[in-house]
Amino acid sequence: MDQELLMKQIVEQVMAAMNKGAASAPSTSAGGRMSAANYPLAEKEADKIKTPTGKPFNSLSYEKVLSGELTSDDMRIAPETLEYQAQVAESVNREAFAGNLRRAAELIAVPDERLLEIYNALRPYRSTKQELIDIANELDGKYGAKTAAGLVREAAEVYEKRDRLKKF
Amino acid sequence: MKSKRFEALAARPVNQDGYVQEWPEVGLIAMNSPFDPKPSIKIEGGRIVEMDGKTRADFDMLDTFIADHAIRLGNAEKAMAMDSLDIARKIVDINVSRDEILDITLSVTPAKLTEIVGKLTIVEIMMGMTKMRARLMPANQCHVTNVKDNPVQIAADAAEAAVRGFAEMETTVGIARYAPFNAMALFVGAQAGRPGIMTQCALEEATELQLGMRGFTTYAETISVYGTEPVFMDGDDTPYSKAFLASCYASRGLKMRFTSGTGSEVQMGYAEGKSMLYLEARCLAVTKGAGVQGTQNGSVSCVGVPAGVPGGIRAIAAENLIAMLLDLESTTSNDQTFTHSDLRRVARSVPQLFSGTDYICSGYSATPNYDNMFAGSNWDADDYDDWNIIQRDMRIDGGLQPVKEDDVIKARNKAARALQGMFRELGLPPITDEEVEAATYARGSEDMPNRNVNEDLKAIEDMMARKVTGVDFVKALDRAGFPDVAQNIYNMLRQKVAGDYLHTASIFDKDFHVYSGVNAPNDYHGPMTGYQLSEERWEQIKNIPNAIRPEDI
Amino acid sequence: MNFDENMLRSVIEEVLKEMGAASTAPAAKAAPAPSTLQAGEMTLADTGEAAKGVAPDEVVIGLAPAFGVYQHETIIHQPHSKVLREIIAGIEEEGMKWRLIRVFRTSDVSFIAHDAAEYSGSGIGIGIQSKGTTVIHQKDLPPLSNLELFSQAPLIEMDTFRQIGKNAAKYAKGEAPTPVTVRNDQMARPTYQAIAALLHIKETEHCDRDKKPQAVTVSFK
Repeated sequence: MDQELLMKQIVEQVMAAMNKGAASAPSTSAGGRMSAANYPLAEKEADKIKTPTGKPFNSLSYEKVLSGELTSDDMRIAPETLEYQAQVAESVNREAFAGNLRRAAELIAVPDERLLEIYNALRPYRSTKQELIDIANELDGKYGAKTAAGLVREAAEVYEKRDRLKKF
Repeated sequence: MKSKRFEALAARPVNQDGYVQEWPEVGLIAMNSPFDPKPSIKIEGGRIVEMDGKTRADFDMLDTFIADHAIRLGNAEKAMAMDSLDIARKIVDINVSRDEILDITLSVTPAKLTEIVGKLTIVEIMMGMTKMRARLMPANQCHVTNVKDNPVQIAADAAEAAVRGFAEMETTVGIARYAPFNAMALFVGAQAGRPGIMTQCALEEATELQLGMRGFTTYAETISVYGTEPVFMDGDDTPYSKAFLASCYASRGLKMRFTSGTGSEVQMGYAEGKSMLYLEARCLAVTKGAGVQGTQNGSVSCVGVPAGVPGGIRAIAAENLIAMLLDLESTTSNDQTFTHSDLRRVARSVPQLFSGTDYICSGYSATPNYDNMFAGSNWDADDYDDWNIIQRDMRIDGGLQPVKEDDVIKARNKAARALQGMFRELGLPPITDEEVEAATYARGSEDMPNRNVNEDLKAIEDMMARKVTGVDFVKALDRAGFPDVAQNIYNMLRQKVAGDYLHTASIFDKDFHVYSGVNAPNDYHGPMTGYQLSEERWEQIKNIPNAIRPEDI
Repeated sequence: MNFDENMLRSVIEEVLKEMGAASTAPAAKAAPAPSTLQAGEMTLADTGEAAKGVAPDEVVIGLAPAFGVYQHETIIHQPHSKVLREIIAGIEEEGMKWRLIRVFRTSDVSFIAHDAAEYSGSGIGIGIQSKGTTVIHQKDLPPLSNLELFSQAPLIEMDTFRQIGKNAAKYAKGEAPTPVTVRNDQMARPTYQAIAALLHIKETEHCDRDKKPQAVTVSFK
């Protein structure tokens, strides 16, 4: 398990090198955007992270899980945190991945059951065009999930063109 | 007269494998097919209107998705105009940085990517891997399964695999309904063996997501994409549903990667007369376009198909390289049996093992292969010492290390007892002391007593209806007297709140520090750069217990 | 080894012939005609669009597009007629009824089984591909999930097919049978995967995306 040691060494070296580079460039831009220099957020920006239930990341503890003060609803990621992670991704030129994280941030509010239903509705031959458009409107209207809604609308068009809508 | 030499050769394991000749018309060709499209791109009004010889009107669903989501338009026309041979040469040129390569390769089409890697020999592909993989240090992943779906054995095998060095673990099922037990046994066993290991359970897509949401797993990998539209449909998904699914995972703080591989389209009957590698390049473009951080690729379960045609194993290495050229975490298969020959199976793993990838195997079998429910891996538990000694021979880091028997027995026993306690506290069918004892010393499921399968399946149904989650595992383990294992599970759940491990090629160390392509990027640019074995790590790798020490003589 | 090569060659040639691409055929030497087909032992007839069943005591068996018509044996040369007879016998042993449909929209065994389950009055269906891959399915499960999956066709022997029929019938009765023991052989892939690909290509050629499941009658000789 000394591999951990080794990893730490290497990472320290790399981070030292990166920080040198970062010293000339600002680590966060004027708008306070997150970048690779703030990563990992759990260690460097813990005070900025909250659960979706509003509890500070730093206040989470094992004991509170045992006592029942924290439940599985607390042990989830919040939209703001995913936005920070998207900014980190952009700082290392991973804009497609950042886009996925932003789409994900919108979906946090959608309950598990509904999210599974929507995913299944997007599978081939499952939905009519109108059903897909209704889902897009729901994502948009009810959850403010604009990007996700856009993806569903796009799918509705493509499925129609490619004959992948519900048949029988 | 029959030649005795030919008789002996005919009896060799390599001659029990199935081979086929190339048949480009149906796609039974690994790479460089005369029927692969010629690279092209045309952009009008900020939109791709022609790609790889097809105009937008003729695009199928994959083309549309790739054109709309997967290619950086800013640099695309310039990158597409570059000579593929020049790009191939840059890949092996230590004076051209990884970032410079990505500027080009993130802006080109699947046909162009296929053409570029088609110019490389296997050794050049390996040089490319050394430079292009995302994370600085390589790592390894294992499969933990057994033919009886015995959870106690899964926990014990996971704990042993943890001690041996794996950073990620994957289980799956013989009987689908056993999935929750397998997932929780893997989670507990891994965390009992070494804190910070990520675990997953390969299942039908929606079911897999459900287990993740419930905190039974910490990442997912079996999110398959395919290179032609009909096969995508048979996989019961579209690029759009898969992109949505990717966001579902991230919305729950779960790491995920897609899976694809050469040969799947031929295997599933619709290769549309294109080479396996070109179709895989399309899969990888879909993966990129969906915004997923990484991929498991390298033919994976279809390895028998490329392995049966000329140049197939080279194509598998080439597809791994394409994943890296798209800045994806590369989890490079080496996880499925494809040959009877021990020589062939080592040769097949050389490119990834010697170059190092983010996860060299996406499923080294942590059990003997008879228990591997992915239908056998290229490497299994009986090969542990071979792997360790190959690392020692070549002075490479394949992610594993030699271990002491006592340490392994201790870890296996602890994991089995922790699961026993957790089952008791959750009101699940008892795990007997006899089972714990058997799992502690077992080689495989042949050494395990049978469980009452029906009772287990009923208990699982009930447990899922009770909405048991990962948080309940923490409480149950604490009550059962395993607070350290419980803490580790808690810490994994806590990581989902922060999301650092969603990033490209992440792994955790035993203190839950994350290392990924963000804070541990691969910076290889020639000899004595990039990942170098430290003295401590080399000590660990080279000190096999059975080496004679000169001072003892 | 000889067995595999011959088998492969004959399959390749057949496909090539059908595709009219014989001129580009890989150097096929002596061309042994496929001789092991046992078409005569069973007659299957499509009788129009299948109806969704309501009888709670039935199990529907869904056949892949080529089963028993364009292909006649599994990957390990089990005649389709015997395979079907065993599955049916297993269902009948449990006192349940059976019905056959043929699925055209896909050659994927999970979807075939799921379609069968949806057409089955009990909600339990069996799907079977020509190469022998078999699934027991239930209609309220996701299509690519299953009750029991027998994914390694080269390992499915006759007694397993009977067990599959029996277990499907038991699920239909609301019982919880012990799943048929799963078999695993890591050498099945190197030996059979390329052949399986060819057999599946041949099955898939007979798919029709717009055709609903058809009712099928069978008579055994």
